[in-house]
Amino acid sequence: MTNRQNPAQPDDSAETAETAEPPPTAGDADATEPPAAAPAPDADPTPDAEAAHDPETAPWTGRTAWVFPGLVALFGAVAVWGALTIEAPPHSPPPGPGVVPGIVGALLLLVAARMVFVNLRVARRIREGAQAPGAPGVDWPPVGIIVLTLAVHVALLEPLGWLLSGALLFWGVAYAFGARTWVRDAVVSLSMSAAVQVGFSLGLGLNLPGGVLELVL
Amino acid sequence: MDAIVLLRDGLAAALTPGNLLWAFCGVLLGTAVGVLPGMGSAMAVALLLPVTFQMDPTSAFILFAGVYYGGMFGGATTSILLNTPGQASSIATTYEGHRMALGGRAPQALGTAVIGSFVASIIGTLVVALFAPTMVDFALKFGPGEYFALTVFSFVAVAAVVSGSVLRGVASLLIGLAIGLVGIDGQSGAPRFDFGSPVLLDGIDIVIVTVGLLALGEVLHVAARGRNAPDLASIRAGKPWLKRRDVRRSLPAWLRGTALGTAFGPIPGSGAEIPTFLSLGAERRLAKRREQRGGGESEFGKGAIEGVAGPEAANNGSAAGSLVPLLGLGLPTSATAAIMLAAFQQYGLQPGPVLFERNGDLVWTLLASLLIGSVLLLVINLPFAPLWARLLKLPKPYLYAGITLFSVLAVYAINASVVHLVMLIGVALLAFVMRHFGVPVAPALIGVVLGPIAESELRRALAASAGDLSILVDSGISLTLYALVLIAAFIPLVSRVRRLRAERRERETTGAGTS
Repeated sequence: MTNRQNPAQPDDSAETAETAEPPPTAGDADATEPPAAAPAPDADPTPDAEAAHDPETAPWTGRTAWVFPGLVALFGAVAVWGALTIEAPPHSPPPGPGVVPGIVGALLLLVAARMVFVNLRVARRIREGAQAPGAPGVDWPPVGIIVLTLAVHVALLEPLGWLLSGALLFWGVAYAFGARTWVRDAVVSLSMSAAVQVGFSLGLGLNLPGGVLELVL
Repeated sequence: MDAIVLLRDGLAAALTPGNLLWAFCGVLLGTAVGVLPGMGSAMAVALLLPVTFQMDPTSAFILFAGVYYGGMFGGATTSILLNTPGQASSIATTYEGHRMALGGRAPQALGTAVIGSFVASIIGTLVVALFAPTMVDFALKFGPGEYFALTVFSFVAVAAVVSGSVLRGVASLLIGLAIGLVGIDGQSGAPRFDFGSPVLLDGIDIVIVTVGLLALGEVLHVAARGRNAPDLASIRAGKPWLKRRDVRRSLPAWLRGTALGTAFGPIPGSGAEIPTFLSLGAERRLAKRREQRGGGESEFGKGAIEGVAGPEAANNGSAAGSLVPLLGLGLPTSATAAIMLAAFQQYGLQPGPVLFERNGDLVWTLLASLLIGSVLLLVINLPFAPLWARLLKLPKPYLYAGITLFSVLAVYAINASVVHLVMLIGVALLAFVMRHFGVPVAPALIGVVLGPIAESELRRALAASAGDLSILVDSGISLTLYALVLIAAFIPLVSRVRRLRAERRERETTGAGTS
């Protein structure tokens, strides 16, 4: 049992060392005090304001702080559910197909719990008057356009064919990134898509769906 | 000495103008295919296999060697320039390589990658030529127990690519492991996490995960940052050549990477991923230790040239190393090696212990053509490094639209399945959430790649011992690896605690005055 859990060992020992540390300077980078513009223990403190906000070390605050712990918990719950419901075929050797999912799921739940704990600690410190760090906002419109374009592309790929849906994808993403020269964008999109289709079908023998154009030609 | 004479004869047979032309074409084709996201050298070699049916064996091998090396360099090119590795073995290159590119040092990163590949292939091929029998013996000592220890060791190397919170790194690794669980369980045949979809029974293809987590995730992340995003077009190409300081720092990294790659390449199933990550971890540690001794600041996290030189050398070193089991045992240890095996069989060669005696001339020709391939790679791609770097000068909308188009294409090319594309969007959204919350995606990739290997080796070992756990620690190799795991986990912990103590003391003394 001990050996099987070895992958997690560095983490486990890190946890214990962390909690052994007295609260004011908790050992985890998650808990670095918000106001100190806190650089990670191993990142160099730079005077540059842009570099000071490193998303990998900034603590999570506000309501969105619970999104990621929730996601981790969801993964963990699904893995544990799988471990309990996977049916091992008869005569399979001792460590069955559910053992490793069980371990992974349990560790995921453990990590989620730890994240919740860190979040609570950060929230308490902010309530006590520490300044909440400003997180960079998300520019939602371009992200939404790209995801929507991808979804439309996937939906139309087989009925419409690669040439048109590929061009649509290229144009949609370019638009999201601020391309507004309509004619040039359309020409570039269509020629990229066509080049890919020709190059791959002729050169590499990969068949991309022809779609409606197949019916016309 | 025998081997050197034989290798010289092989070179003599391989070095004809016609063959050089094949090698040239191979390198160009390989680089072109390798540049596409999700398509590595294995794909390039597979696509060319039918073409070579008409060729004589020597020319075919030379073409393969060129394509192979070209493909690996192509993967490194996109890793560095666009943060989109073409294959699992160039993932390790992205971390420091892309940061170098953002810092205006793209040509240097490409240069150190191409020279590192060259150094590693030359040394690796020579080592294989001279020590193949000894290396076969060592590789045969690796049973499931040892192999599991090796994967555990690689998981610890995750620490190498996590710069911030350990907790988030572990979360990312576990998410990767969970993704890797999907599909039919290789040991028992039980379907796992298929949610009733027949496509999920095959598992989530590594191409989907790589392209989604890195390429599309990056596109979404850049889009979300709007005007705060780094402007790739403003990257100045800078001086194309490596400065003396760059060479001085790259050289030891090249050699260490070569050693790691050549040592791990022959181990069945290990592929090139483990040595590349081990090399990245080793370079990072060494740089930090040098910094602590006052020997120059560690540039890791900001684009350290060692972090490109080491993994790229390890990648090519392991490619040469993987020839050992292929030629000596007839055992392919990577996807590309498996395709090469098919090529051998096409020429009536039966790889195995007697190959060197029965078809010695062809084997030496093959080794010689690998040498030629790596020389040509250097000759062709070193001058082109600054040219490739200009790819970043494309208008930003077109650049990212192109990345998206090729990402979708790479995934659709796996099996012409629309379900794969839906999975791709899902993985890309996951990557976007992770990036937004500052969770590193690298450990997730390591988990997806190595998780299934670790699980099957663990269960194979336990099945062989009828559930007796002592099989995991009953050999010198395993014990050494576990000892290294403990040391690797323990050292950063001690130094972190020590540093925090020092920081606290400092804050107590200075903080009293200011606040």
